[in-house]
Amino acid sequence: MNSLGLALAIIGAACASLFAGIGSAKGVGLVGEAAAGVVSVDPNKFSKVLILQLLPGTQGLYGLLTAILMLRKIGILGGDVVDLSTAQGLMFLGAAMPIAIVGLFSGIAQGRAAAAGVGITAKKPEHNGKGIIMAAMVETYAILALLVSILIINNIAV
Amino acid sequence: MSNTEYASAVAAIKAMESTLLSRNDIEQLINTSTLNELKTLLESKAASDDLNEVWDMLSAYAPDCEELKILLYRNDFHNLKAVLKAMLSGRDPAHYYIAPSNVPLETLVSAFSSKEFDLLPKYMAETAEKAYETATLTLDGQLSDSYIDSAALAAMQKSADETGNAFMQKFAQLITVCADIKTAYRCSVMNKSRQFLETAVCGSRELDKESLIRAALAGTDPLLSFLEGTVYKETAEMLKESPAQFEKWCDDVMIDHAESARVMAFGIEPLAAYYIAKEAEIKNLRILKVCKECGADRETITERMRKLYV
Repeated sequence: MNSLGLALAIIGAACASLFAGIGSAKGVGLVGEAAAGVVSVDPNKFSKVLILQLLPGTQGLYGLLTAILMLRKIGILGGDVVDLSTAQGLMFLGAAMPIAIVGLFSGIAQGRAAAAGVGITAKKPEHNGKGIIMAAMVETYAILALLVSILIINNIAV
Repeated sequence: MSNTEYASAVAAIKAMESTLLSRNDIEQLINTSTLNELKTLLESKAASDDLNEVWDMLSAYAPDCEELKILLYRNDFHNLKAVLKAMLSGRDPAHYYIAPSNVPLETLVSAFSSKEFDLLPKYMAETAEKAYETATLTLDGQLSDSYIDSAALAAMQKSADETGNAFMQKFAQLITVCADIKTAYRCSVMNKSRQFLETAVCGSRELDKESLIRAALAGTDPLLSFLEGTVYKETAEMLKESPAQFEKWCDDVMIDHAESARVMAFGIEPLAAYYIAKEAEIKNLRILKVCKECGADRETITERMRKLYV
């Protein structure tokens, strides 16, 4: 068994979950800070700002999904570990990169956009939806990255 | 990806901005016929006129923010003047102390009583010592006041430059420019000496001290001509109309500056802008109350109202 190939694939899965998770944690944390500020003044706006806080959390889920798909494909989750060559391992590592990198940056960027949206909700609650839409636009790029990662994982022959 | 400071504070401030008086509110207040009616309407709008509360709230949200402290320098130096004068004339300084301030009354009193000026913040220690010397040696209260006023402006500019925050730098510049023009204009009307002007005018990057002094010494018309050639040519037009119009312009220009922070989602700028806005709102309410007390007509009141932030 080529342990380097397997190690590279596991590192890939870890990266997908790790970096996308960091992006989401930072984003959700930032919006949480802003949301707490609004709720401290007007507790009735809790439900409105909560939606905005949830938005940057998706990158972490995409990272988790990618990691699970990779771990299933290489048999870590199924209990029947596949023998991977170094090249195959590198392919899995490469497959993780789109969601890992885009997840990290888009999570933070979406957090900023959503935190700014919290400002809209704070001042003009009736325009809350506009804040949500603007923050949700960032999601597009995380979804594209997830799509690319999944396509690569599905097309790696093992 | 950085510069996401004070996200919580900014969001809270945005929520509070909706409680600031709007143009409609001010119109309604102007339309009241008596002072009592005005007070009743104000109570119904729950408009606070206590800047202390605003400062306490800002301090709670951003306790470690050095930039915001610059907003209180004017009060700090006013208190320095007040305590110095009160102590020299044997009166109670507490009557003249204004809050909010970065320096508690007790600190000012003990600094002057013990002559330990190091008790004061760095930006005012030297000024306090020199002002004390000037006041006790020359017994010229006006000279010591002018020295403190000018030192306050210089301290504001220096601290703003040290923070490197463009919003606070511009704030300090505008305050200095308005104060310098006001001083130069008054001195030109009263034919004050060069020596006095050199103490009283602070100078800034946008308005050179020496040129301003030279123009003021030449008289009111040369001063206005000089101002017309600067980026603050509007001030010359205002001064030609009336000093009151110039005062209004000074307040309005601060609100214009505060407006630049309205679109920001993070940072200290929206916090500082809110403080400036609240200060302007309180000033408007005071003007309104005085006008109602004097029985001023609607037009006069409207003309005197400062710009609003919302």
